[in-house]
Amino acid sequence: MHEAPIIKLGGLNIDLSIVFMLIVSCVIVFIIARLATRNLSVENPGKMQNFLEWLVEFVRGLSNSTMDWKKGKPFISLAMTLIMFIFVSNMLGLPFGVVTDVHDAEKAQIFGQPLVSVTEKMEAIHKQHPNEEPEVEVAWWKSPTADASASMALAIMVFLLSHGLGMFKNTRAYFKHYVHPYPYFLPINLIETFSKPLTHGMRLFGNIFAGEVLITVILRLTSLGPVGGVFSVIGLIVWQAFSIFIGTIQAFVFTMLTLLYISQTYAAEDDH
Amino acid sequence: MSLHWESFVFTLIAFLILYILLNKYAFGPLFSVMEKRRELVQQQLSEAANTREQATVYVEEQKQALQEARQQAYEIIEQSKQTSGKQAAQIVELARSEAARLKDEAVRDIQNEKNKAVEQLRGEVGVASVKIASKLIGKEVKEDSVQGELVDQYLKEVGGRS
Repeated sequence: MHEAPIIKLGGLNIDLSIVFMLIVSCVIVFIIARLATRNLSVENPGKMQNFLEWLVEFVRGLSNSTMDWKKGKPFISLAMTLIMFIFVSNMLGLPFGVVTDVHDAEKAQIFGQPLVSVTEKMEAIHKQHPNEEPEVEVAWWKSPTADASASMALAIMVFLLSHGLGMFKNTRAYFKHYVHPYPYFLPINLIETFSKPLTHGMRLFGNIFAGEVLITVILRLTSLGPVGGVFSVIGLIVWQAFSIFIGTIQAFVFTMLTLLYISQTYAAEDDH
Repeated sequence: MSLHWESFVFTLIAFLILYILLNKYAFGPLFSVMEKRRELVQQQLSEAANTREQATVYVEEQKQALQEARQQAYEIIEQSKQTSGKQAAQIVELARSEAARLKDEAVRDIQNEKNKAVEQLRGEVGVASVKIASKLIGKEVKEDSVQGELVDQYLKEVGGRS
């Protein structure tokens, strides 16, 4: 499997591919948003503006389906950023990947820093098969959401935001929710509460990561000769299309769940 | 799969920066434009409703005015019909009375003329009969009063016979 290019910098394990891909995603999302809002017009919106307004209406619909519009309004921007960021991130890993082969632990370095993950992996391989030349593939280009840290970061951010809002803005209903409907439901409610961010982040990560793994596997088919090549191309076409679908659905689901979790804590009624 | 808290933090930072930038440079203006459009549509809708209401009122007024005009025209025609009828009757009445007056006058004139003619004839007949009588009796009736009495007497006799 592909290794992540990780360097040690001031005691921090920095995953260069994640940092790089995060920056790429953010830049693309920002450019799209800026292009769409470049020539804003009240009466004669352009195509891009129409598209973004459609997205806003869509997110507003999601928000309205979970909570009151007055309470949901401040989170439209957040949901918009989430859906655009996750969608772009999901799509980034699909068209191509940048993978480098490393055979020599000495050469596994960038900006003068050794790629820690690669050297460790090489040592591990070397221990298992001392006679073989170790080969490690380093993935530089992938979906940031195909990394568990990134997906979980978004999920836990939503978790903290929703529970913070619940605690401070909707205190009574929020704490009442834990002993609902009877006090001895507290453990169940706690498990439910803490399983939410886990499933929230892992769902996104799992879907996107699995998609990229399967793309890698399909690409490996080419090593089986011409027949494998044909199957590889057909499989890639099908799987890429499906991954686009999955990426869209996951962006939608993540945003939807974000609004839902916020509504459950922040907008929950007292008598719920 | 590997979890690194550094990647975690980077993701959060990147996402927050993106959120702030988008909010400031993209979504903020976009939301305000959408809000403006919503207001514009609302305003135009209410304007349209107002215009429609005004139009309805206007049409109602026009209808009423038309009705009034029609009523007035009818009254005028009715009035003129009445006056013309009255006038005609008046004229006829006038003509009738005029005719009656003319007839009366004519009758009176005729009577007058007749009386005059009778008077004149009586005088002439008197003179002629006196002359005849004087010729017959050979003497002249000198005194006028006696002469007149005689004539009248004769004439009465003549008139009584006739």
